[in-house]
Amino acid sequence: MSFSSQMKRGKKYPDALKDKFGTAVILEETYQTPEQLTITVDRNNLPDVVTELYYGHNGWLSNMIGNDERSINGCYALYYILSMEGNQNPQDNMWVTVKTLIPENDPQFPSVTPRVPAAVWYEREVRDMFGLEPEGIPDARRLVLPDDWPDNLYPLRKDAMDYRYRPESVEEKYDFIEVEGEGIVEVPLGPLHITSDEPGHFRLFVDGEYIVDADYRLFYIHRGMEKTAENRMDYDQVNFLAERVCGICGYTHSVAYSAAVESANGIEVPLRAQYIRTILLEVERLHSHFLNLGLAAHLVGFDSGFMHFFRVREKAMKMAEILTGGRKTYGMNLVGGVRRDILKEERDQILRLITELRKELDELLDILINTPNFLMRTRGVGKLERDVARDFSPVGPNMRGSGYARDNRADHPFAAYDRVPWEVVSKDGCDVLSRELVRAGELYQAFNIIERCLQEMPPGPILVEGFSYKPYTYALGATEAPRGENVHWVMTGDNQKLYRWRARAATYNNWPSLRYMFRGNAISDAPLIVASLDPCYSCTERVTVVDVRKKNVKTVSYNELENYCRERKYSPLKL
Amino acid sequence: MFKLLKKALQVGEATVEYPFKPLEVAPGFRGKPIYNFQQCIACGACAIACPANAITMDYNLEKGIKSWKVFYGRCIFCGRCEEVCPTGAITLSPDFELAATAKEDLYCKADFRLTRCHLCGEYFVPAKELEYILAALEQAGQPGSASHITRQVMEVCPQCKRRQGIKTAVKSLPRAVGQQQGRG
Ligand code: SF4
Ligand code: SF4
Repeated sequence: MSFSSQMKRGKKYPDALKDKFGTAVILEETYQTPEQLTITVDRNNLPDVVTELYYGHNGWLSNMIGNDERSINGCYALYYILSMEGNQNPQDNMWVTVKTLIPENDPQFPSVTPRVPAAVWYEREVRDMFGLEPEGIPDARRLVLPDDWPDNLYPLRKDAMDYRYRPESVEEKYDFIEVEGEGIVEVPLGPLHITSDEPGHFRLFVDGEYIVDADYRLFYIHRGMEKTAENRMDYDQVNFLAERVCGICGYTHSVAYSAAVESANGIEVPLRAQYIRTILLEVERLHSHFLNLGLAAHLVGFDSGFMHFFRVREKAMKMAEILTGGRKTYGMNLVGGVRRDILKEERDQILRLITELRKELDELLDILINTPNFLMRTRGVGKLERDVARDFSPVGPNMRGSGYARDNRADHPFAAYDRVPWEVVSKDGCDVLSRELVRAGELYQAFNIIERCLQEMPPGPILVEGFSYKPYTYALGATEAPRGENVHWVMTGDNQKLYRWRARAATYNNWPSLRYMFRGNAISDAPLIVASLDPCYSCTERVTVVDVRKKNVKTVSYNELENYCRERKYSPLKL
Repeated sequence: MFKLLKKALQVGEATVEYPFKPLEVAPGFRGKPIYNFQQCIACGACAIACPANAITMDYNLEKGIKSWKVFYGRCIFCGRCEEVCPTGAITLSPDFELAATAKEDLYCKADFRLTRCHLCGEYFVPAKELEYILAALEQAGQPGSASHITRQVMEVCPQCKRRQGIKTAVKSLPRAVGQQQGRG
């Protein structure tokens, strides 16, 4: 690697661990970049070490990766990635990865979930995909694999299957949680979603009109992208696949992916390319936030507001078209930089559009905030309490609406975010309103960032070439998408393909705490609460409602529930 | 409410009359890739770069044909094909109206004649690609007298070359051949 040992950050973290658990606890320390440190520990020490970093040193769980390294070192490996934040000097923030090896003949490890709840989805996924058993995990149901997938077939094991293989289905089984109690009703929502158009199944447990608990089943359209990339794509091609993780915030995935490959191989991206990436990321945030604000207006029954947000959003789409040649910010990245420069006319057009957008947004927000219905419906609704947030590591406006100023762009600056002035927006109402206000505030920040970048970007090349990929090196790449941080992790292979690619989208970290955000809210607010996460999953049409008092189960179509959310009349439960 | 009304009046009509009037797109818009058979040398660089596998190449070694095919149904309009094509045979157009009633209408195909190896007689390289390389070598300053020797070397398939002993084959090639291979 091309950095000196003085640049390496965060000696204090391994030192603190050695103080607490003895020097033998850390088997190996390696730096992937000056701000990415991996420490290897014995699997029996895994829960202790992760918990200590998480709660003792202000760490947040940003990703966890399972890897089949049997052909490299004879073992499976787990990598828990913690984002170490909150240092007085942001220069001291860093990523600490806790790695542990798991022998092939004994594929299990002590679960971290009982002590750090944020690990729950990751550990369930690693169990599905690699057959590594998290001993003591409180929720041992399948997460990713379909209910009719055969047992003992673990798709991401290297020797398990070809990426095109489709096994025969077996008998389905999935145990939704059961809530016992007088008068609790179960409301199924899905498998098709509330505001998005992808499948997910929600089960709301209600007492009368109020939600007492919720359970959900997602991943109905898991696409097996990681497997596809590892099997058939080269490093540059994966950029184009990574963007298809999301139909709204795709570009941020390709930036996170290329950043991971660049970090792993010590590739330096030219400064101009860094500015262009920053500009495009913010353009993406513009159209994404406009969309979400519009949807929020729609769900509180304020449809003319919705129309106006979408009308104005069109200007952001136009920006994307001018800058990238498509209405979406797709197709711009390669490993080592970007593919298209920004010309002077284009810059001037974008600056003009920003001026127009700023004025339009002022007016629209003024109208929205002064709509009494909007405040009434969003204030105090869908609360993400601070202690729940601390346990589950949520991200994005969802987190920043609960008073945590966590933002990857500031905590771990990438692209050109540390070169232009801007501020992290946070609010502390913990409710739907706060989350929407955070988005509104971020729109203004995005205007500023785009303007400054356009004005200040240096001339020069936009793509480096002629580097080579080093086999079996790994690193992570992170971006702040409109929905929160995206963290990708890659390990290179020896055949111009990835050995392992793990893409963790923002919403993955936001789902597990949703259950707590539902509790105590009226069922008519459920669509609004889900929309305030700005979820990114493939959307749901039905909801199961379980009435815990009357002990009956009813399935409601999404349209019915959405109408109920908008009108608050004609409860579908009473029909 | 009043503000909203004022805003609505001020904006007037926000929609456009598409599809009854054409929709203008930004310059540099990435739409349907247009293929030019005349220029294509069937080198396959586009098929290798295409992340979506929209462009594919097939060999028929019996008939001596290499076929190039794009399926617009898979295309993601990334423009990688345009970027890597050495001859400018494929370029993205501003055309975004690709809807078709039959799947067949979303394909564009071309067949190329292959040249036989002059040692073993098997088909191996598209004739156009061979001519293109020879022309490029000549432009790169290969003196005319040596050019038919180059042709003889180039008309040998990789297997035969390997058989002949790869080292001698490489030595007899001019340096410019190595530089023909760009990134992609
Ligand atoms: S534009 Fe992209 S997806 Fe379409 S044919 Fe070209 S390389 Fe393939
Ligand atoms: S890269 Fe260009 S010349 Fe080569 S096969 Fe594709 S279109 Fe033809």
